[in-house]
Amino acid sequence: MAVWMDGFDFPPELCSKPLALIGISGIDVTKNASDREVWESLSNNRAPNRAHISFKLLEPQHVFPVMKPKRNTYDWYIPKGILKRNWIVKHLQELPAVNVLFYHLDWDDPNFAAKKLDCANRLQSIRGALKGRLTRLAVVLIQRTAPVAGEDPSAADKANALCTACELNPKCLFVLPLGDHLQGYILRLEKAFLELAQGYYHHAIRAIKSHRDQLNKTTQQYLMVRHLFKIGLLSELKQDSHNAHKSYAQAYSQLLDLRVADTNAMEVKTVAGLINYKICRILFSQSMPRDAIAQFRAHTEAFKNREGHKDLTFEHYGWLAKQYWVFGDLFDEAIKQGVQAVQTQHPGFYYQQAAQLAIQRKQACEQLCQNVTTYPEPDPLTGMDTLEFFGQRAWRPGSLSVEPIDPSRERDGILALQFREKNGVNHSSLIITLFGIAISQFKAFRCPRMRRQLLVQMAEEYFSAKDYGKALTVLTHMLWDYRSEKWWRLLSAILLRALGCAYLTAGLQDYVTLSLEALGTAAQLTSQDKTRVFQNLNRILKRQLPEPEPGLSPIDLPHAKELWTASCASVDPPYVTVDMSNVASCVESKAKFTESQSHVDKPVLIEVYVRSSCPHPIQFSKLLVTVTTPSMSTELPASIVGPSEGHPLHFETNSVKSYMCQFIPDHRDVGNEIQITSILLHMGADGDRNIILRYSCVSNESSGADDICPELQHFRPTPVKSVNFDSIRVQSTTLLVPRTSLLDLSIHHDAPALLGEWYKVQLKMLNNELCNASSLSVEVSLVPSTDDPHQELTTQLCKDVSGELVSLPMQLIIGDLNVGSSKEISFYVRALRLNTRNLLIKAKYLMLDPSLGINAEFWNVCEKLVTISVVKPFDVLTKFISLQLDPLTKAIALEPLIAMPHTECLSPWPIVIHNSSFELAQNVRLVDDSFVSQLEGLELQKGEMAAEATVLNITQPSDQPVHVGTYHLQWSRKGQEHMVTSSTVTLPTLRVENAPIYVEMVLPAHGWVRTPMAVSYRIHNHTNRLIDVDLSMEASDAFMFAGHKQLQLCLLPESVRTLDYNLYPLLSGLVALPRLCLSLVKEGQLELQPPALAELLQRCLPTHVYVMPQAKGKAATPQVPVPS
Amino acid sequence: MYRIWSSTNMAVCIAVIGKENSPKYVSCLNSDNELQFHYKVHTALDVVEEKLSLAGKSNNDVRELYLGLLHSTEEHKIFGYVTNTKIKFIVIVEATNTTLRDNEVRQMFRRLHAAYTDVVCNPFYIPGDHIVSKKFESVVKSIMSGNP
Repeated sequence: MAVWMDGFDFPPELCSKPLALIGISGIDVTKNASDREVWESLSNNRAPNRAHISFKLLEPQHVFPVMKPKRNTYDWYIPKGILKRNWIVKHLQELPAVNVLFYHLDWDDPNFAAKKLDCANRLQSIRGALKGRLTRLAVVLIQRTAPVAGEDPSAADKANALCTACELNPKCLFVLPLGDHLQGYILRLEKAFLELAQGYYHHAIRAIKSHRDQLNKTTQQYLMVRHLFKIGLLSELKQDSHNAHKSYAQAYSQLLDLRVADTNAMEVKTVAGLINYKICRILFSQSMPRDAIAQFRAHTEAFKNREGHKDLTFEHYGWLAKQYWVFGDLFDEAIKQGVQAVQTQHPGFYYQQAAQLAIQRKQACEQLCQNVTTYPEPDPLTGMDTLEFFGQRAWRPGSLSVEPIDPSRERDGILALQFREKNGVNHSSLIITLFGIAISQFKAFRCPRMRRQLLVQMAEEYFSAKDYGKALTVLTHMLWDYRSEKWWRLLSAILLRALGCAYLTAGLQDYVTLSLEALGTAAQLTSQDKTRVFQNLNRILKRQLPEPEPGLSPIDLPHAKELWTASCASVDPPYVTVDMSNVASCVESKAKFTESQSHVDKPVLIEVYVRSSCPHPIQFSKLLVTVTTPSMSTELPASIVGPSEGHPLHFETNSVKSYMCQFIPDHRDVGNEIQITSILLHMGADGDRNIILRYSCVSNESSGADDICPELQHFRPTPVKSVNFDSIRVQSTTLLVPRTSLLDLSIHHDAPALLGEWYKVQLKMLNNELCNASSLSVEVSLVPSTDDPHQELTTQLCKDVSGELVSLPMQLIIGDLNVGSSKEISFYVRALRLNTRNLLIKAKYLMLDPSLGINAEFWNVCEKLVTISVVKPFDVLTKFISLQLDPLTKAIALEPLIAMPHTECLSPWPIVIHNSSFELAQNVRLVDDSFVSQLEGLELQKGEMAAEATVLNITQPSDQPVHVGTYHLQWSRKGQEHMVTSSTVTLPTLRVENAPIYVEMVLPAHGWVRTPMAVSYRIHNHTNRLIDVDLSMEASDAFMFAGHKQLQLCLLPESVRTLDYNLYPLLSGLVALPRLCLSLVKEGQLELQPPALAELLQRCLPTHVYVMPQAKGKAATPQVPVPS
Repeated sequence: MYRIWSSTNMAVCIAVIGKENSPKYVSCLNSDNELQFHYKVHTALDVVEEKLSLAGKSNNDVRELYLGLLHSTEEHKIFGYVTNTKIKFIVIVEATNTTLRDNEVRQMFRRLHAAYTDVVCNPFYIPGDHIVSKKFESVVKSIMSGNP
């Protein structure tokens, strides 16, 4: 960059952050290890959080810049320039604010007095070297021993003595103990140094301010600016950015007031640039980006029209470009420090503007410097790098604007500058660099389109720099972007430029591609342009030289012609393949399969449509379609549909033709997709160069995928009888399916199936094919159900009921099936759950293909789906009742009860019950010895109900509901009695309570009037305790009885006491029995209340009995039924 | 009170951009630097897209159609407006035209929107096509020249 920026580069000392300068002397880094350690901890790791100090190591005999004699009055002083070039460097790097003398001296040093004098001498010599300067002095004593808490009482005295000897303010004497905490001491020292430095700068500022008041505004305006600038810089050194900004801003406004002529324009602009830089930098660092931008705007606004000398306007643009560039850098730097930028305000805009100004600079240079051929002698620019002031001309340094100028020297100087500008500056690389930076900024701030425009401008610059290859590369990328957003106007402009580049580089491939696009309707070119492109394309085909594009530089043409001649003569490449998928070309093509599914025994048809929008008639030599299947890839020639006049591949402007091609698919590809990969259009006759237009059909997202709705294309008016090209939907794949089988597969079954039964499904196959089928097999599989994902676990299949279960899918081998014959086969399904099953039945067989001759067997498949719904055959509801036939909600342990299952038939088919049985739980027993099914052989229709009963006894009470057992039914459909299905129903659970006493009455089924009947009461004690009860028998009108009327009983533990009575019925009919009453002798002997005991008796004992009248005429036979 | 219509032009370029950012209509007052205006309109879409994506996030029920000033350069100011169907209108005004008020720019867009609605209502117009309409053209010309 130094190559071009000669006068405009900002001095590095200005761009760095000003740091207070502190001189360090008395340290010997090379010989003394501890000194080196001190120096390194001072100078290394100057992180931003440490004090803003720059340390400079000074030799013992260092010479400081000589002080100029102080001026007593400024009255007659005429300044020769605004800012001295060496002043900033002097204050930043040469003249320390504080000079620190390091000296090795311990308080307890035996030679303390001698060393004290030595130190004083050294300090004195530094003081001498700095004579007249305000530089602060400080002494640091490097001590080996760390200070102890109780401190040496003599230390204070010795320090005082040292200060006196050195004539040093005691505040400027420091002690640095070597040891573990060196870094901590150094940090504290730094703070103290910084304070001293700030004091120094404060004084320096005051000194400048004091003589600023004496200045004369008419003749010493330069000085006003200079002083304010100095105050600004010193304030920065003092870390006072507020006042620094204030002073710089004042300096800037003073500068704007200067009278500007051609002679000092450059100087004013240079200084303005420097001050503006300082202001913007401070504003950014104070997080005030808006103010920085406003300042920069004002700056460019103030100077953009001050072009200076009319022969040096390129200098103005160069300066302005540099302003924008540097501001962009500052902005970018601020963003890295955390300033927020937005899409509409970011450094990219400044770089872009810099690039535009660099272009203007280049143009100005081309205009002004075209005739400059010789460099003037003697060199008027000697001493340019050693000028005293910023921005002055080398041929008249320090001259005042009022002085008359020497016209010939002036002319030579301008000539020299022009010569340098023309020959020493690479404008294009500069512009491209700036565009490059701007592009990356615009990319970062989400401006893709702005970035594209800049890339196009960058390509333009490559073009003007004659780097046509790079220009073409960039432009072809941009073509893609503008094409995808259909900005045809912009695309056309880029296209023409790219075509020029392709011509100049003789890039055959690019040239052909661009030509095809230029001929399309999207490219908005004039008809002359299109005709020229078309003719050139034809020349390429005939291996002739294309005509140059208009507007190209004549210097490049001969070279381009040579390249083309070589290209035309060469055989390679024999043909040019152009990928048309990314080109908005003049010829478009679409292909589609006529069907989305193709049967393997029929030819697959492909329709191809070609539309030419080329403004001139165009003819192709071949049209091929590439088709890919998993097993092969072929190129198929397409033939025109319908009669055609002339050549079938000859296209007039805006004509559409359709073609057809077909091929026989391979049986191996059944089940796979066939894909049209591409359409190939060949241009050029045999022997000529061939161009192959390759239209890819793989991606369905063609270029027209954006806001053109295919649904609306039908509304587009098209000429009658012509194909509406836009509305053709591309169908680039087809699924190859097996031929439709002629096997007749019929399925018979009696739906619905009953839950749990073996359900018979019968298949009947009839061969309607023309050939015999062999290896016929049937596969039965379960279609996965969405309701029940694990249906296969509750579905069983078998070939035969007596055989084993077969896992899914089931294979049934049938064998050969001759033409016209049929076979039947059946299988069984068992559903263990109620939901519907879908079975897929797939018959597969081998058959000879008559069209392919002997040995060409192939598989045929016939599929059918069977839906089987499942219903329950019956519902079983079990009730529990007491021996008195009352419904029970709970059972009492050891008291018998009746279980009564009611079976209701739900099946639409009659079912036959073969057997029924109970399987009882552990604590449940049958009261009878065995159970005999009462339902055996019963036939139930739908809705009918069967019931049976058995008496059970539950031995154990329980807190939990007791599982009683299960009920088994063996049944079958009527007519299929050989296929018995066993179903199991779980009996309901019962709550079982405990009762201490159980009374059982043994009573005949009926009695006769006036015939005694024997009854007995059996009183069970279920507890393991003695129970004393009072028993009483209440009289009944219907009976006389013999037995205990009232009795006290002692019931032994777990025993039965039997009491016999003889009843003598007096009345007939259903008569009440005498009532047995029990009561406990001792209340509370059992946990049983009297009402509970009464309730127990009521539950267990019958209350009534039937008494028959005596038969008339029949003598009463004393027949006493004996209780069993 | 009479308002005197200034002789300066209201707008120098008016563009209609489709849903997928392809130009449907671009008209410039001065056809000499038409290409530059195409670039300006095209690059302004960056800002439009950004504003739309931000508006999409806030998920307001009713989005303000007028996007305001998109971008300003030393020569021009570019304003934007997006319909609910994502059709974008771009108006470029000369930067020297300082008398133009925000209200007037809104008014321009409203007229443009109405004219565009008329175009789409034409049964012979296929949505997505380039706009070719004498009536629309005359409305655009009158907006540019500032005649009501």
